Parts: sequence; structure tokens; C-alpha cells
Amino acid sequence: MLWVFEGKRYSYEEFWALKAVSFELEHGESLGLIGPNGSGKSTLLKLLARVMRPDKGKIRTNGSTVPLLELGIGFQGDLRVKENIVLYGIIMGIPRSEIRKRIGPVLDFAGLTRFEDAKLKNLSSGMQVRLAFSIAMQVETDILLVDEALAVGDIEFQQKCFEKFANFKKEGKTIVLVSHNMDLVKNFCEKSLYLLNGEARSFGPTDEVTNLYLEDVKLQTMPRNNPDLNLTA
Amino acid sequence: MVESDRIRKSVDMVAVLTQKDFKLRYRNSVLGFLWALLNPLAYMVILTLVFGLLFRMNIPNYAAWVLTAILIWRFFSIGTTQGLDSITSNQALVTKTDVPRYVIVLSNSAANLVGASLEFIVLFPILIVLGIRLTAYVLLLPGILILEFFLVFAVSLSLSSLAVKYRDFYQLWDIVLQLGFYVSPIFYSENLIPARFRFAYSLNPVTRLIESARGIFLLAPTPSRFDLIVITGIIAAFLLFGFVVFRAREWHFAEEL
Repeated sequence: MLWVFEGKRYSYEEFWALKAVSFELEHGESLGLIGPNGSGKSTLLKLLARVMRPDKGKIRTNGSTVPLLELGIGFQGDLRVKENIVLYGIIMGIPRSEIRKRIGPVLDFAGLTRFEDAKLKNLSSGMQVRLAFSIAMQVETDILLVDEALAVGDIEFQQKCFEKFANFKKEGKTIVLVSHNMDLVKNFCEKSLYLLNGEARSFGPTDEVTNLYLEDVKLQTMPRNNPDLNLTA
Repeated sequence: MVESDRIRKSVDMVAVLTQKDFKLRYRNSVLGFLWALLNPLAYMVILTLVFGLLFRMNIPNYAAWVLTAILIWRFFSIGTTQGLDSITSNQALVTKTDVPRYVIVLSNSAANLVGASLEFIVLFPILIVLGIRLTAYVLLLPGILILEFFLVFAVSLSLSSLAVKYRDFYQLWDIVLQLGFYVSPIFYSENLIPARFRFAYSLNPVTRLIESARGIFLLAPTPSRFDLIVITGIIAAFLLFGFVVFRAREWHFAEEL
């Protein structure tokens, strides 16, 4: 599927979170969004997720989109686990008839079968994360938008995340991944977009873009080693 | 995504979110739903004592007459108060998902419709105990409740979208409802209103809904076709206004929450 993003976004007392960012993605290509904190990556992801609308410019997507910006969105502690599975599943775009069928497998995968009727708030936060991810694994969509916020979790959990991403890509689907982990980005994303202060510093094949980012970071953190910089400290 | 898919997805979402809203209401309480009845019953008793006996309203079957109106009023007042809060209280949905925003308000109002329906169902045995003979006209009740649902939804749309930015609306609406209780013919008859104020008074959409409900339960004049057309027209206008305001503010929610 083709994905085109152009333009600007956002003004609050004249602060533009994103300015003149444009890119295109081909079918089956995944995108890594990298850059320092506050550079607009999450904002961009939210725009792609249709959580917000750009003030200027257009977003064109071909295919369904599911945002995975946080795990357990909409979870209600006072409701039972199985009710939450249906609730979360619906929000993730899984049809109601489907989720009902998958309650069992979801609980199995998360290792929470005996808690089906328990109130969600009685589960530990770790259990809730496992549950949320287990439901998210059921998602079927053309484009998956993932924020690094998902990276919390134990090693086993992270492994499962990566497996899911790998399967997803095998099916020719697209992932847009916001991450600070360059290895992860190199592993899953053919192209990358490096954002700096709301502007596109670089867009292109991941290796090139990540190298540029690392270069910039080096320059930032070790100025004394660089004879080209003019310091007056 | 195919359009029919999108519609089915929205319907699913409304259904599930409505269930969620409804269940959350009575969470952690043993008597749960029963509390929803004790309140109107208490009102009925108090109002009957004060206006039926002390101040002598001279209306036949005052208790039943008042109770019917109380239930219609409750649907409106609770429905809009909760609707007002619906966007703000679902912050995660609004800032992290692409769930259509109006669906959040719609399911909130729908949950209130379910609640009101249940309250009305319990009204039946109470009316019988009070000595009222029920007729086939009560079958019109679902129609009245659905009309009221659209009114509640319409008002909730405007209020919820404005409340995101201006928290004042919580207080404001509270005052409006306080006033509304006295400006609606709940414990007194519309006939008490002096002729020169009649027109302004009749603009209150809840008034007509109350009249209709009384009509079908107590065989006071039953709503005429004209009445129904007027109510529908007023509510349609509210809906239009509600959507206009909502759409205008919709895309700012994620920022403002």
C-alpha cells in the first residue's frame, strides 16, 4: 500500500510541533521514526493514527490502521478481565464476534486463564501488561503504529513483541515504529525518518538515516573532541 | 476499510462501550440498581407530601402524576450531566485511539437510556399499587424514551465538547438543571403559568416529553400527532446544533485533554 504524508501540524501560541514533513512509503515497507525527545515523533504518530488532524497538509493511507500507542487503553479496573478483553479488542478494531471467540486463547497466551472472571484491578500491573499485549497480538490490520512506550516489560515480553512484528512484516504489512533503539529500527524498518525540532532532518534507507542521527548525537555529546567546533567555554 | 465494515465496527463499539458505561455505574455496590429507584421514590414521597397534602395542588392521583414526571426529568438531568463528562472522563480513548468521538458520547447516552428504561419498567407495578389503571397507550412509551434519548444525546454533544475546554460548564449546567426542575411542570401543572409566559414556557422540550408520558400512563390528554411532530422538530433542531458544535471542537480534544 502507498502512504503519503505531507505538511505541517499544530499551532499553540505559534509552536509548530511539526513543520513541512513529507514522506512516502511503499507497500510492505516499514518506517522507523527517530530523533531526540520533543522532536515531534509522537505527534506524527498520533496524526497517522487519526487521533489528531494536521493544521496544514494531507495524510493519505491505503489500508487499515491500528495505533498501539499505549497498552491497555480503555482498561477499566472495576470490570472483569473478560469484559476488558472485549472492550480493548473492540478499540483495537477487532469485530465483536471475533473477540468473543478469542477470549480463551488470549487468556492462555497471557497465562491468565484462571482470572477470567476476576476484576481487572486485582491483577498486578505486570499481568495487565501481559493481558494487554496478548489482546493486541490478535490485531489484524494493514498498518501498525507503535510507540516506544511499549518497550516496558520483561525480556520474554519483548521477545514476543519482536516475534509479532516479524510475522507482521512477513505478511507484507507495514509498521511505523517510534523508537530510541537503533538496532530495533534497523531490524524492522526499511526506511527511516529522522525528526529534529519538528522538521525532517533526513528521510531514506534506515542505515543512512540512523548513521546520520548517531553522528549528530556524537557531535552533541562530545564537543571537546571535535576541533572543528568553536568553543568559548 | 469498506464502508459497511466501518459501520459495523461503529455499532459494535457503541454496544460495547454502552455496556461498559452501564456496568461501571453500579460497580462496587450491592444494592446497585435499586438505588436508582430509591431516589425517585423518595422525591415522589416528599413532593406528594408537600404539594399534594400541604400546598394542595388538587390534581387527581398526584403521586403517580409526579412520579412519572420525575422519571422523565431524571433521564434528562442525569443523562446530560453524565454526557457532559463523557469526553473528559474517557481521556485515554480520545488521546490514544481513533474511536470516533461522537461514539463515546452516543454510548454514554445509550447507557442512560437503558437505565431510564429500567426505571420505567419498575414504574408499572408502582402505578398499579397506587391504583392507576394502565391501558394499551403505554406501548407508546418506547417512542417517548427514544425521542428523549435523542434530546439527551444532542445536548450531551454540545456540552461534552465545550466542557473539554471550559470546565465552567459543569457548574453552569448544574445551575441550568436546578432551574429546569422548577421551569418544568414536574410538581405543578402547566396551567399555573400566566398566559403571557406560556409561549416561552412551552419552548422547554422536556415539558412536552413529560406531558406525553403523563398522557400515556394516566390518560390525561394523550399526545396528539401535532404534539409529536413539534417535539420531533424541536429535538431535531437540538441534534443539528449539537453536531455542529461537536464537529467544530472535535479535533481539539486530543490537545486539550
